[in-house]
Amino acid sequence: MSRHLILDNPGVRRAGLFLTALAVVVLAILPVFVVERGQEGFVTNSLLFNFTQMFMMIAMAASWNLTGGFTGYVDFGHAVWFGIGAYGTGVFMTKVGLSFPVATAGGVVVSVVAALLIGSATLRLRGPYFSIAMLATFVATREIIRIAKPLTDGGEGMTLPPYLNRPLFFYVTLILAVLVVAMTWWLRRTQFGATLIAIREDEIGADMRGINTTLHKITVFAISAAITGLVGGLWAYQNTFIDPDIVFIERRTLDIIIATILGGLGTVAGPVIGSVVFYWLRDLVWSHFLHYHLIVTGGLLIALVLWVPEGIVGSLSDRSGATPLSRLLHRNREEQSEDDLIETAGGSDPDGTES
Amino acid sequence: MSGSTILEGRGVLKNFGGLCAVDQVDFRVDEGEIVGLIGPNGSGKTTLFNCITGVEKVDGGEILFKGENITEDKPYQIARRGLARTFQVIRVYRDLTVEENLLLSRQWGEVPTLRSFTQADPSLHDKAAEIADFLLLGHHLHEKAGILSGGQRRLLELGMTLMPDPDLILLDEATSGINPTLIQTIKDRIREMNGRGLTLMLVEHDIRFISDLCDRVIVLNYGKKMADGTPDEIKSDERVLEAYFGDDGGSDVD
Repeated sequence: MSRHLILDNPGVRRAGLFLTALAVVVLAILPVFVVERGQEGFVTNSLLFNFTQMFMMIAMAASWNLTGGFTGYVDFGHAVWFGIGAYGTGVFMTKVGLSFPVATAGGVVVSVVAALLIGSATLRLRGPYFSIAMLATFVATREIIRIAKPLTDGGEGMTLPPYLNRPLFFYVTLILAVLVVAMTWWLRRTQFGATLIAIREDEIGADMRGINTTLHKITVFAISAAITGLVGGLWAYQNTFIDPDIVFIERRTLDIIIATILGGLGTVAGPVIGSVVFYWLRDLVWSHFLHYHLIVTGGLLIALVLWVPEGIVGSLSDRSGATPLSRLLHRNREEQSEDDLIETAGGSDPDGTES
Repeated sequence: MSGSTILEGRGVLKNFGGLCAVDQVDFRVDEGEIVGLIGPNGSGKTTLFNCITGVEKVDGGEILFKGENITEDKPYQIARRGLARTFQVIRVYRDLTVEENLLLSRQWGEVPTLRSFTQADPSLHDKAAEIADFLLLGHHLHEKAGILSGGQRRLLELGMTLMPDPDLILLDEATSGINPTLIQTIKDRIREMNGRGLTLMLVEHDIRFISDLCDRVIVLNYGKKMADGTPDEIKSDERVLEAYFGDDGGSDVD
């Protein structure tokens, strides 16, 4: 039953890797050709800005994929780490007066600490219960930020020291995206990465074979929060203004989930391909059919779940490890096995119906 | 070749709501033994396994492994003490290769050190390959477990129990849904493993399989221990025949 599809061909995979490397090189020299406002030219500051947002999406999708795709814990509130990172950076810069790099590092630390605390509670839940608990965490955090006025300036928002340098943010986020994707590639090849997949495939089985599943889940959750918190900090600084409603928007989580599903949940290349396609698709829809963009996004999600549940990478290869979202949420197989594990007394059928 | 007691249960009790699945069962497994655990469906065999391995919290009694009380331990802690098991419903990691399945079943340390962020030691790879060969899975080492047949997955599960060099293995219906040739393979392998000093406890419906392999058989019925003795004693025990085979007495169950 082994299929041989286009991405299973090592030549095609190598070509894909080569094209990706080429794209990174081309992107890296892009800011050299940037033109000023009003001048003729393709490489505008606005284009660099768009790429910066896309790199951020790639980094966040890849980090969401660590918990959602590899470990099978579908996080519906992932943007909470973005928000905590953004506010951490904002507070450390404006209230404490730290420089941007130090403040961002502080934001990342706050994200990680919050992830360790929140994860140790929510990661005990499975399937849809975990997803909903994370959505609730997200909404609750937004309200906490709104209420904690002395620290966060509440609903009025916070203005960070303005700093306009598009090429710098472009390079920083490009490097971040490359590093994060390289890290997921490497992680998948370590024992830690294999353990995450084992937890997704059969958490009870992993537990009974000596794996401390809780520790692994919390560790990966914290790694994922650190990356997204860093993106949040960068975003806050380049946006120069943050308030609860622009930082904590549900759509941010939805976007990275759709991008990951589109590319292929649980694969290394999936979040990259998905983010690139989805980012420009969304941009196209925004610029031409602004009023309908949510309909298009929703329609895309429905179409994906129905017809391409394994995403672009998953449907083009057999060894990718891509897995449909429905399987992660329902965990049918595992619940089934759990039921079977608990042998109930009663009807003593000598024929052994299950054997 | 029995030695000192390796696993002992004292008054193990497990209720599901108003239903007593395991009713104050005392049992004992000695080092080097193969002990069979039989009983009609719903008699509490798998529940007892789940209590031993920590999946189910017992409502009473205590379980000792190698002389230490493991009643309150979590499943992964019990596994790390050297107790491995298979499952009635096959539990392999379908999206990982046979090799990865085996590597992940290695003996785990107390905390995942930074070494977890590396690839497994070459010695573990060698061991995984050796175990795969032992269980006729050598050709499938780099294939995903999801494409294996049911019988091959049973063998893989068995291999996964061998990976950490356990002191005791619990096998839950290792032969269900398996063709006769493969059953013979599993039987040979169990005998060979036992010959190397491994202690085993088996839940099985196939009486012939049990009586061929086991030194001693424990019979459960409605959660209570009904009999405990050699296969011959069990086969001639009238109460067991009554409970297990019903009125038509003596026909084989498989």
